[in-house]
Amino acid sequence: MTLKHVTGLLCAAAMSLALTAGAQAQDKVVKIGVIMPMSGGTASIGAHAKAALDVATDIINNAHPELGNFPLAKNAGLAGLGGARVEVIIADNQGNPATGQNQALRLITEEKVAAVFGSYQSGVTLTSSAIAEKYGVPFLNSESVAANLTERGFKWFFRTTPIATDFAKIYVDFLADIKAQGAKTDSIAVVHDNTEYGTSVANTISGTFKERGQPIALDVAYPVNATDVQGQVLQLKDKKPDVVIMISYTSDAILFAKTMQSLDYKPAVLLADDAGYSDPSFTKAVGKISQGVFNRSSWVVGPAGSPSAIIADMYKKKSGEEMDDTVARQMQGFFVLADAIDRAGSTEPAKIQAALKATDLKPEQLMIGYKGVKFDDKGQNILASGAIIQLQDGENYVSVWPKANAEKAPVLPYKGW
Amino acid sequence: MSFVLVQVIVGGLLLGAVYALFSSGLTLVWGMMNIVNFAHGDFVMLGMYVAYVVYTLMGGGPILGAPLATLVLATLGVVVYFALIRGIMKGPMLAQILGTFGLALLLRYSVFWWFGANFLSMPPNIVGGTYAFAGLRIEASRLLAGVVALLVTLGLHLLLTRTSLGSKMLAVAEDQTAAQLMGIRPDTMQAIAWAIAAGATGLAGALIANFFYIVPTVGETLGIVAFVTVSLGGFGSVPGALVAGLLIGVIESLSGYLIGAIYKDIVVYVLFLFFLWFRPQGLMGKM
Amino acid sequence: MRRWIWLSVVVAFAIAYPLLLSSPFQQRLGALVLLYAIAASAWNIVGGYAGQVSVGHVVFFGCGAYAAMGAYAKFGLSPLFGIPGGIVLAVGLAAIVGVPTLRLSGHYFSMATIAVAETMRLIVTNTEWLGAAVGLSGPTVPRNIFDLSFLSALPYYYLFLAILSITLAITWWMTNSRMGFYLRAIKDSERAARSLGAPASRTKLYAYMLSAALTSVAGALYAMMFGFVDPESGLGILISVKILIMAALGGAGLLFGPLVGAAILVPLEEISNSWLGGKGAGLTFVVYGAIIVLIARFQPGGLLSLLTRRSRSKVDTGAGYAP
Repeated sequence: MTLKHVTGLLCAAAMSLALTAGAQAQDKVVKIGVIMPMSGGTASIGAHAKAALDVATDIINNAHPELGNFPLAKNAGLAGLGGARVEVIIADNQGNPATGQNQALRLITEEKVAAVFGSYQSGVTLTSSAIAEKYGVPFLNSESVAANLTERGFKWFFRTTPIATDFAKIYVDFLADIKAQGAKTDSIAVVHDNTEYGTSVANTISGTFKERGQPIALDVAYPVNATDVQGQVLQLKDKKPDVVIMISYTSDAILFAKTMQSLDYKPAVLLADDAGYSDPSFTKAVGKISQGVFNRSSWVVGPAGSPSAIIADMYKKKSGEEMDDTVARQMQGFFVLADAIDRAGSTEPAKIQAALKATDLKPEQLMIGYKGVKFDDKGQNILASGAIIQLQDGENYVSVWPKANAEKAPVLPYKGW
Repeated sequence: MSFVLVQVIVGGLLLGAVYALFSSGLTLVWGMMNIVNFAHGDFVMLGMYVAYVVYTLMGGGPILGAPLATLVLATLGVVVYFALIRGIMKGPMLAQILGTFGLALLLRYSVFWWFGANFLSMPPNIVGGTYAFAGLRIEASRLLAGVVALLVTLGLHLLLTRTSLGSKMLAVAEDQTAAQLMGIRPDTMQAIAWAIAAGATGLAGALIANFFYIVPTVGETLGIVAFVTVSLGGFGSVPGALVAGLLIGVIESLSGYLIGAIYKDIVVYVLFLFFLWFRPQGLMGKM
Repeated sequence: MRRWIWLSVVVAFAIAYPLLLSSPFQQRLGALVLLYAIAASAWNIVGGYAGQVSVGHVVFFGCGAYAAMGAYAKFGLSPLFGIPGGIVLAVGLAAIVGVPTLRLSGHYFSMATIAVAETMRLIVTNTEWLGAAVGLSGPTVPRNIFDLSFLSALPYYYLFLAILSITLAITWWMTNSRMGFYLRAIKDSERAARSLGAPASRTKLYAYMLSAALTSVAGALYAMMFGFVDPESGLGILISVKILIMAALGGAGLLFGPLVGAAILVPLEEISNSWLGGKGAGLTFVVYGAIIVLIARFQPGGLLSLLTRRSRSKVDTGAGYAP
């Protein structure tokens, strides 16, 4: 009889479901759920984030007097909760909005986390934060840039990262500055992939430059994970823009660098929008043939002995990689969340929410180059900002703009290889 | 014709040759055994990793990496044949999709587990820079891949049409029982076919690694290209895969340059569908 | 008689499940199993019974998902109103795509369906009105019950259960009708069926359209539950493969095959992800892949075929070398 066996198989499946019931929360531990891409095409982001959060929990849970007044470093655990330890529970979103939402539900209802942190891809952040909103659990996002995330009227959603409008402002100001120093920046090309990140950032940049009376001369869109980008490079070579703004993930960024070399194409100014160009894999793979590329970054290593330099060192020991902007923004976001829980003095969601709303961190309390952290009514950090870094002498970026905290002066034109 | 257009077409031809190179193995097993190998893209990926490991351990360019990748993948092909393919070949087509898709995940994430998810890359100019002919620029590594694509196609074609091993393999493909009656062992022939196909795929991976990036999920990107190339060329036709690869490469390059890169895949798929309307058996496939 | 007893046991279990395993995550897993069972059962009509292995079924899934989210995002209607629109879209598309492609044999048909699905994904990715790569969102805070945006998975569970029952009833009715008879004949040998006067092309097309309609309903329900659709999650080829694998793993061409496949694969995926995913070593998929390989290797006809003694003949799609 078929149905008997169907029943048997269904029962077996049900039993495995029963096993998912989570363990009970322990005393004096604050659990924070983290949703990251741990598999799939962007899994390296998840791997880096995991190492960074390991370092962050080490800093929070153990005494680190060498970090001076850096929040949460001095004593072991969260002082506001009687020295409670922070525990991170990482879930894999597989780059899939549905999986991300399922995992958010699991973290909230099974693991009973105090807050959720994630989820890199804007689409996943969108669906997973919707669950947190319904359950009334704080959700902190530190790296998704889609504008609509903070336009949903959510009360439990907070975002520390700068977004596309901030990037556009940085580029306008930076280009105006180097123009004043004699660089030619009359025609600008924007090269971007057709993902939600690439399209939305490109649109915002184009809009901002148009408002300032300098419309984008050439818009080159290409499909993400391209097998070949020769056509796009030839388009650029043909139109000869002065400035090329690249909005690409790592895979395409590597391919563009190689193709630009083989087709012998060098724009005067090559300006990258973070993402792929910040990935240490990029600098390792093609750093030598991308000398002089400018990149947006909120992360700048401070002088030796400063908290950011010590943290960068700890991260490098942990992961074997240089700290990059994406992972630094994530780590900073995590500190902001932990700081709010500390100030709330409780794992009660409403108190953490209130503490997040009252967040007012000063630049010297941060490991990253924001002007501070302060959320508006929509949950967006209004003090988020960025700087420009440049790949000079080998595989390391140095900060070159704004002048106030620049290590070196920008070198022009783009050198390439 | 503008000068840039010539560069676009030449680039398209080289790209197409690469498509043909990593599709030839797929078309061989598809045609010979009527097996859809959903893990094909991941075989290419393995070839890339073998070449990368060889480079980091022993240095040397493709001279060392390519033959080793061929050898390793050919061995893997035989193992996969006896462990999995032989069992699912007689099953329905769905079992083949199921089995090879599972294999794809297994290979992809085993590599992921071992190497991590970081993007890797061979050093630039590992094969010797870029040639410039009268303003035309051709990357040596791509040229090498293109030339090898032609050689592999020619070699496989000659093997199948001019050698006794080839005729035996074809006999098994046509009618197993009859072949068996004539004293040919289907198992051996099919294992050899898998070794050749996987070896050619490993070779392709090793050569592509010279100018592409290396990451565990790269097979997803390349696999679907191989599928379109092979069906356009006709399942089982090695020259068909070459012609189809070149065609797709040039169409992609031209449409990417002329109407925008985000539309180039749409152009390829729509042309492919129209083409199937008129020639349901592919370019060079048999009815 | 015994058949009915077992059937009532299955039904009773399905109804009682969310009460027995009542944590929110378990209830959601139950709902997901049913959702994928609907999609896989819909696929089964054309892929299992008609033997036309469509790998691009996600295109119909996407019709439903986009219609449901579009109804809300573009017209401020309840996503429910999108369901009929999605069905019309899917059936229309199935007719347009089916006429030329269903005459293709074996693998060529599969490839053509992949090409159609990828084309649609790329078109939607580049269409601003459909949200392009950003996608379309549903109502997060429900305005009323018809927005179908619930905190608990319970309402979804019973809604999906009802629709799965309807899907299975339609499938059962179809297999016992003249159409089912034709489909079996075509699957065994299309040439023979034609020569005996079975309207092969028409029957296959009808099955394809029916399957498309039900798949689009599954897509609409999926989008409503997650409140979101984007080109990757609504039109990505991996969803097709997932649906196909569930049906094949349980037993394609068997009424309960897709349900069994979904009941095994969905929890396997979610649980292995919950246990192993956070380690970031890709072990989730090593385990998942290995299990699929083992089942394919030792039970090529699907798990339920253990129980049926029907022999299977392989469809000859013309192996051989064609220089």
